[in-house]
Amino acid sequence: MPDVFAVPVFVIVFREAIETVIIVSVLLAFLKQTLAGPGRDDQVYKKLIKQVWMGVGLGLLICLVVAGGLIGTFYTVGHDAWQSSEYNYEGAFALVAVAIITPLGVGLLRIGKMQDKWRVKLAKSLEAPISTTGSKAGWLKRFAEKYAMFFLPFITVIREGVEAIVFIAGVTFSAPATAVPLPVVVGLAAGILVGYLLYKGGVTAKLQYFLVAATCLLYLVAAGLFSRAIWYLEQQKWNNIIGGDAAELGVGAGSYDISKSVWHVDCCSPEFNGGGGWSVFNAILGWTNSATYGSVISYNVYWIFVMGMFVVLRYKETKGHWPLLKAKKGHANSIDQASVEPKVS
Amino acid sequence: MAFKKSLLVASAAWLSAFSTLAEAVTVTYDFDVAWVTANPDGAFDRPTIGINGQWPIPQIICNVGDRVVIHVTNSLGNQSTSLHFHGLFQNGTTHMDGPPQVSQCDIPPGHKLTYDFTIDQPGTYWYHSHTRGQYPDGLRGPLIVHDPKAPFEGQYDEELVLSVSDWYHEQIHNLLPAFISKGNPTGAEPVPDNALFNDTQNLKVPVRPGKTYLVRMVNMGAFAGQYVWFEGHNMTIVEIDGVYTQPAVAERIYLTAAQRYSFLLTTKNETGANYAFAGSMDTTLFDAIPDDLNWNVTGWLVYDDTKPLPEPAVLESDDFEAFDDMDLIPFDNQTLLGEPDQVIQFDVIMDNLGDGANYAFFNNITYTPPKVPTLYTALTAGELANDATVYGEFTNTHVLQKDQIVQIVINNLDSGRHPFHLHGHQFQAIHRSPADEGTFDDTNATMTNFPKIPMRRDTVSLEPNGNVVLRFKADNPGVWIFHCHLEWHVASGLIATFVESPKQLQETIKLPQDHLDVCAAGHIPVSGNAAGNTVDLLDLNGQNRAPDPLPAGFTARGIIALVFSCICGILGVAVVAWYGLAPDPGTAGPALQANSSNDSDGQQGVLAAGDKTTGAPVQTVRTSASAAGR
Repeated sequence: MPDVFAVPVFVIVFREAIETVIIVSVLLAFLKQTLAGPGRDDQVYKKLIKQVWMGVGLGLLICLVVAGGLIGTFYTVGHDAWQSSEYNYEGAFALVAVAIITPLGVGLLRIGKMQDKWRVKLAKSLEAPISTTGSKAGWLKRFAEKYAMFFLPFITVIREGVEAIVFIAGVTFSAPATAVPLPVVVGLAAGILVGYLLYKGGVTAKLQYFLVAATCLLYLVAAGLFSRAIWYLEQQKWNNIIGGDAAELGVGAGSYDISKSVWHVDCCSPEFNGGGGWSVFNAILGWTNSATYGSVISYNVYWIFVMGMFVVLRYKETKGHWPLLKAKKGHANSIDQASVEPKVS
Repeated sequence: MAFKKSLLVASAAWLSAFSTLAEAVTVTYDFDVAWVTANPDGAFDRPTIGINGQWPIPQIICNVGDRVVIHVTNSLGNQSTSLHFHGLFQNGTTHMDGPPQVSQCDIPPGHKLTYDFTIDQPGTYWYHSHTRGQYPDGLRGPLIVHDPKAPFEGQYDEELVLSVSDWYHEQIHNLLPAFISKGNPTGAEPVPDNALFNDTQNLKVPVRPGKTYLVRMVNMGAFAGQYVWFEGHNMTIVEIDGVYTQPAVAERIYLTAAQRYSFLLTTKNETGANYAFAGSMDTTLFDAIPDDLNWNVTGWLVYDDTKPLPEPAVLESDDFEAFDDMDLIPFDNQTLLGEPDQVIQFDVIMDNLGDGANYAFFNNITYTPPKVPTLYTALTAGELANDATVYGEFTNTHVLQKDQIVQIVINNLDSGRHPFHLHGHQFQAIHRSPADEGTFDDTNATMTNFPKIPMRRDTVSLEPNGNVVLRFKADNPGVWIFHCHLEWHVASGLIATFVESPKQLQETIKLPQDHLDVCAAGHIPVSGNAAGNTVDLLDLNGQNRAPDPLPAGFTARGIIALVFSCICGILGVAVVAWYGLAPDPGTAGPALQANSSNDSDGQQGVLAAGDKTTGAPVQTVRTSASAAGR
């Protein structure tokens, strides 16, 4: 069995796949529900679907190239350039993902409320050329919005993919190479199956409920990601202090900085040896066996921020102005208006 | 041999005692311990602890029966110090043994202490600081006790003292804090920078042909065991750690830190070539081998100094087999001691404590020095001196009664090799397992098949994940520590304490005033239990403690954090759902329309309209989209 099926490889592939498919399937299901169907905007739908798949494909391509380069470096230079600062990369990628998911979630929820309006906006923002006039920040924002359907899967695939490939490469240094292909395929298949089920569930459910459920899931993932980003950055510092990879110490003493620890159990690690089921738990809920002040506080701060954000948005919705500000004349920069500035010539 | 002379004026007045007369004399040394600069490996000038302005420090040389008096002045300025005379029984003078907080107080800077004892045992010994991690900074040297009645007397022409050691470029007081810190969770010991013979490298030993030399070797290193061999010459071992042995021929010997071997080496009859001899540090002890480390040191038997000095042949690591000291038979044929009155088992483990640092443990206790030196507790505890409790929870103390046979079983649950040393005794090593044999099992006949005449010494090597069984007779009243002689592990707590015949100690030991004076200078209490409590000796409140263990899993803090995070997550999800399900007043018109109508952008108006009446406006947009698409 271990000769043909390396369990850690399966787990890591499955875990990385699941995070990607959650995002991709939520996006696809959302697009399907809002844009596809008779009397709807089929062309825009196809265009956006294409964006998503382009993001996935390009992300996959880039992560293959990057990981290939890293593995090549490992074999030629003799040390793993990725691993020496792996957690910094992971932390940065996770932060980027959080930055994308957070406003996206707001968008998804508002779509549920104003389905048709959003369909129009999506179409418009997609079709509108990116204006070169106006402020640079505005341009960047519009660009990001126009291609959000591309960037989210793109970033996610790169992050998860590179991680998975590097990890698999790491395992093959110790496990026989024959043990790798099967678990990779099975892990991907299992991940895709989960994604397909999510998608199927998504496209048949009542859109608003689906979107609320999907958004809740996304925010759970995002909170976990934010917490993990901080954890990664701290763990990288710890790795630097102890002059090596703390993962080599397993899950016991020394694998974490005691002075920053809030809890630590010598089991259930989402990192060690692929993490087993705990890594799935980690991907969805942000579980860690070794919580730090940074990771716990960031998790809670993120949720408090999200809650605050929605309370404020709701306030704006019902009162027509931001809290603490008087109802103001002129332009109010609420989220639903953000993507509609470009002029159609 | 690079050392700077006379940073301080040498006030030495040592009398050499090469007298072959059997009559005992008093050998007196004045040792002014102070920093000098040394560079024995030619690679790095470093502050080094010298004596009387010299480094290497002087050898202590005397005859059996001599009284040795050493007046130590601590002129280090920044560190306390002490001297221990490794291997000496100190019978009747346990307070002269040296370890601080065990049998004396540290000598603070600027203070003096006199060691005064009689040596009734022959052989090769050494002396070194026993103050926290200090001796690798240079304060270690050979101590040779000549014996006109040695069994090999008359079989050799000349005597050579040859020390071997490791050498660090960094000072111990810089290395130790990094070693015992959370940043070194695996307890990786600092790796030496070089190895030395006689405190130098490329040592040339002039020899004459056709002669026999008595070579007294001491490994006075801090950490590295050393393989030693002489190309083209055999060694005939005649003494280990002060115990004469039946002559045994060896090609290569292994000396752990603190072990000694004396052997006869007969030179060749011609002077046609010179021969290399080599010391090679046991790299299995090192967690990581730095790229630039040369773990070998070379010397030469120089028959003719006009001839070339050949490089020693390189050995593959598989070739590192050395003579097994368990095969040696003591010359006195002392037989196996009888069944033990006390069996003490020590399980050796390395683990991390609550401060994140890695410590060494005997039976889950990492040695933490008591507030009162253990000997002083034994002398002042009256009847309770027989109760191990008074010596503290973190000293691993066992009380031995007069003439008991004591068996020590050491199970190495660690993957490293450890040299164990017992103060005040030479023990019989009655069983030693190969590596990875696991723990000692006294029902296993192959393990309990003890030799009739066991090997004896004072420092024994224990194999990784193996075990060793030692026996000795408690015939030497005193406070003797038993510890790993890897200086790093001494600092990380691999020490146990034997209090032997406390009643006799109370009757015979009278502490000299200067010993009490250094305690006063260091504000160290000299009576009471380990906590310094003189009223209730069984009350250990205030004793020095090891750090607490690492918290196991979820503590209150962790549970609160986890529960709070869960609540936060659930609340968050609830808020998201609440927001997502709440109807948007904007779809009903007024709020959003107000916004839209205030917007100067014409497109906004189209969208706002679209909000209210789905259908036509969407159519409009689609048209424009299609148009743009084309």
